[in-house]
Amino acid sequence: MDHQKVQRLPAEQLFQHELDALIAAERDAVPTGWRMSPRSVRTYICGGRAGSTPITPKYIGSERLVEIAISTLVTDRALLLIGEPGTAKSWLSEHLCAAINGDSTKVVQGTAGTTEEQIRYSWNYAMLIAQGPSPAAMLKSPVYRAMETGTVARLEEISRCASEVQDALISILSEKRISVPELGVEVPAQKGFSLIATANTRDKGVNEMSAALKRRFNIVVLPAPASLEAEMDIVRTRVEQLAGSLDLNAALPAGEVVEKVCTIFRELRSGQTLDGAQKLKPPTGVLSTAEAISLLANSMALAGSFGDGRITDGDLAAGLQGAVVKDEDKDGLAWKEYLEHIMKKRGGKWAGLYRECKELNA
Amino acid sequence: MELPILFGVRHLSPAGAFHLRRLLDTVRPRLVLVEGPSDLSGQLPDITRPETAPPIAILAYTQAAPVRSILYPFAEYSPEYQAIAWAHEHGAECRFMDLPSDVFLALGSARPPVDQQEGEARFDAYAALDAQAGEDGHETFWERTLEHATDPDAYRLGAAEFGAQLRDLTAGREGDWAETVVREAYMRRVIEDALSGGYAPGEIVAVTGAYHVEGLKTAAPMTDAEIAALPREPSSHTLMPYSYYRLSTRSGYGAGNRAPAYYSLLWQGLQKGSGSWAAESYLARIALYQRESGTSVSSAEVIEAVRLAGSLAALRGSGRPALRDLRDAAVTCLGGGSFAAVSRAVASAEIGSAIGMLPDGVSRTSIQADFYRQLKDLKLEKYRDLTAQDLPLDLRENRNVKTARSAFLDLERSAFLHRLRVLGVSFGQRREVEQDNATWAERWVLRWAPEAEIELVESALKGDTVAQAASFQLGERVEAAAGMADIAAVIEDAFTCGMAGAVTCATAALQAMAVDAAGLDDLAATAHRLSVVVQYGGVRRLDSAPLEPILRQIYLRCCLILSTACACDDTGAKVVAQSIERVNAAALAHDFLDNQPWLDALTQVARRDDLNTKLSGFAAAILLERGAMDAQSLDLEVRRRLSRGVPADLGAGWFEGLAMKNRYALIARLPLWRSLSEYLDGLDDEEFKRALVFLRRAFADFSAGEKDDIAENLGELWGLNSRQVSEAVNAALPHESQVLLEGLDSFDFDDI
Repeated sequence: MDHQKVQRLPAEQLFQHELDALIAAERDAVPTGWRMSPRSVRTYICGGRAGSTPITPKYIGSERLVEIAISTLVTDRALLLIGEPGTAKSWLSEHLCAAINGDSTKVVQGTAGTTEEQIRYSWNYAMLIAQGPSPAAMLKSPVYRAMETGTVARLEEISRCASEVQDALISILSEKRISVPELGVEVPAQKGFSLIATANTRDKGVNEMSAALKRRFNIVVLPAPASLEAEMDIVRTRVEQLAGSLDLNAALPAGEVVEKVCTIFRELRSGQTLDGAQKLKPPTGVLSTAEAISLLANSMALAGSFGDGRITDGDLAAGLQGAVVKDEDKDGLAWKEYLEHIMKKRGGKWAGLYRECKELNA
Repeated sequence: MELPILFGVRHLSPAGAFHLRRLLDTVRPRLVLVEGPSDLSGQLPDITRPETAPPIAILAYTQAAPVRSILYPFAEYSPEYQAIAWAHEHGAECRFMDLPSDVFLALGSARPPVDQQEGEARFDAYAALDAQAGEDGHETFWERTLEHATDPDAYRLGAAEFGAQLRDLTAGREGDWAETVVREAYMRRVIEDALSGGYAPGEIVAVTGAYHVEGLKTAAPMTDAEIAALPREPSSHTLMPYSYYRLSTRSGYGAGNRAPAYYSLLWQGLQKGSGSWAAESYLARIALYQRESGTSVSSAEVIEAVRLAGSLAALRGSGRPALRDLRDAAVTCLGGGSFAAVSRAVASAEIGSAIGMLPDGVSRTSIQADFYRQLKDLKLEKYRDLTAQDLPLDLRENRNVKTARSAFLDLERSAFLHRLRVLGVSFGQRREVEQDNATWAERWVLRWAPEAEIELVESALKGDTVAQAASFQLGERVEAAAGMADIAAVIEDAFTCGMAGAVTCATAALQAMAVDAAGLDDLAATAHRLSVVVQYGGVRRLDSAPLEPILRQIYLRCCLILSTACACDDTGAKVVAQSIERVNAAALAHDFLDNQPWLDALTQVARRDDLNTKLSGFAAAILLERGAMDAQSLDLEVRRRLSRGVPADLGAGWFEGLAMKNRYALIARLPLWRSLSEYLDGLDDEEFKRALVFLRRAFADFSAGEKDDIAENLGELWGLNSRQVSEAVNAALPHESQVLLEGLDSFDFDDI
């Protein structure tokens, strides 16, 4: 398969050279089933050096949370990452798997339609009817495969799954074995097996996780970036990576542009200006860091395809309009208030952006 | 010259205490020198008495104001405390060797108090260390590197190296570097004295901060002339019980530590010879706390937390979890990822509520002595108990007893308890008395907790007796007062404390402040407090006459500014109404206050149209109540206020104000209701809707009984059956009317 044509490479392929360098430079003890030591995993996620190879930081935020996540997996406990949408839960889970197993693709996407079979196993029905139950007719779920190979499986958006599907996990996580009554076998999990689930705090109450299941996870809450600088850092790094893989024919956004977007997002998210002097009405959307990233990538695409390759205030305004105004009535109002009360008064370098936004809302 | 064995420690370090004891067991010295004020060596026997339970502290303070103090806290796991205990157990001699406390206090006179200063002055060095340590700052660094050291030499050499490095970093740069040099020279001198006093170097162990180890090796002993030249300041000192809570709130090196309860677990773990005991115990305690407060926590979760803490520590290359790992593990496994869920349990496991104990009679401060003497005099000794007990007081003279002293026993008890309350000593809690206005009765709940003893000792800084300290405290409050009401509160307190001197002093301050302009609410609050004091001060056998002129002055000013204050919006009106009520009560209570200016001011407010109508109504209500407005002028006023052409909201607002007081009198006046009825009849549809909103509000908090009476009035006026009217008035609104009214609430009146 030609890597160049794949829209989005899995983490372990994208950062293969870093992973290789870390494995080559390994000095500490490696847990069974892992490809590198917990410390190297931390270096891979938080950045650093492996021998002479620089390791880019993948998760920019509290290093301590990453340590807790890694330590959880060392103790063969399952890990539950929860947080607002766009706080890099899936991102972190993917990179953890990439570093620990070199394989981040054993994923079950949790949806309202996810069935128990997708967690355990299902059958190739043609073969099942023709030959009866046999290992060959069996379709193993990613979780099943992870147990067999002693690796880490991922379950995205666990709180969107129906509760019976969640319950199927309880026995897997406590017994660490999966029974296949049709074949009369019981498959024990190999050392190294674990599970990383992610859940959204906005989905609270959709399918509340049972206490029994929660008890089998160590829960790590991922916060929104703590400061404007941290958020700008994240946005800049990710936009750079995206621009490379998406072939956007545009210049990277200037620091000032990133700062503007992050400022607007943070202020709307927290419901007050950065200096805390003014309260404002937050829109209904989440306005996560992830959205700020895609907004900038979007603006770059606009600039690259229809402009001169440099992000203009017009490109930015179009992106902001789409990101902020999700619900026409309420958000439109909140956005207009923000424009008039906050952005207009800032003047200076904000004047151009204000004019463009105003025009879209005229 | 050969030096004795120097053991560098960090104050409040369990591992230091443990390894120090092991070293003492091996060396078996005849003399133990401990870093502490050398003039206070006399306290050592009390520290080691069997009834003494740490945490305790030595407090030294200057005798002259402003009082400055230095504090040496000792926990069970303080190396210094263990060294003292070891010497006592093994019959070795023990001495403090640092500068005498009076020199310390004199050196510190130009600077902020020493116990804060130690932390601040070293702050820069520690900030640099924090940056180097990378993790959670130097506390965690210290815990991982030295607290967990199992080899005794590793601790001693490590701590000495740590101190030496820190010294290189700060030498000559710190604010108190000069003091450090002086201290070390003095300590060196004490060591020399001991050596020349017949002890061989190998027979002495000196326990000092790791920071000073290098300094002691190189310092030249202080000469006699130098010692004589040291500044000194007269000071007192005492041993006091201390608490883990207080230890945790003092920041800074040496003076405290953040998690005393956890450190005490570490100490116990070392005693048990188990490296993991403290960690397990910490998490089990959190689980226990959670269970006791109703959150279910399983043992399996605690086990997971212990494992997680272990692997977090491993990630930092350390074999045993530090406090930080344990706390994070507790949050993750027991708190579901949220610190808030376990924060109280964490506080209890890290800080705890342990309080030290001292045997009765051990080195009392004069204020403690005074306290116990009074306790005996006032026959309150049986209340010095951990269980709360009720104490009802009757402040009046007891005529059945012989001596004057016992006749006013309860009054003196009350003054004593009030003085303690002013000092913030939590011995007595005042409860509300059931009978209203029984100014001669008080109810107290008394309970003696060790915390109260600590608070009492701290009051020693304010004076030698309870009365002196309370008077000092009241003086401070007068100086810090932001407004007149604050000072009035001091006067009230001074009265309840029975302290005439403080009353005079506060009154003078009040007089000075009353000259400056103040708002009505401040003035009224002051007048209210003073009025209460003057009114009921008699029972406390204090002469309230000096307060009368000042009360008169404030009262007069209230009269003068009343009408100006009444020009306000409806939000402000609430405060003004309360002030009017208060001044009115004061005017009624005292004959020496001339009522005429007040009534004139009220009449003016009631008459004027340009003030807040609600307040005009309220003023009319008071005049009515005091009989200063007759039925005729009320009728006239009602008609005028409710005439056509006056905007409906103003008219109804006036009525609302009128109805705020003395409703019974209002209801009984039939002509008033007639006027109201006529007024409503005269309104057109739009105006009626508008008036309805405000009138509804005015009547909203009338009781059912009052509404009954109104119904009777209206029935009479309209010739209806009063019972039917009452039913209609009191019944819940049908849905349609409710909807209509809600529509009216958002009715835009601007366009009328």
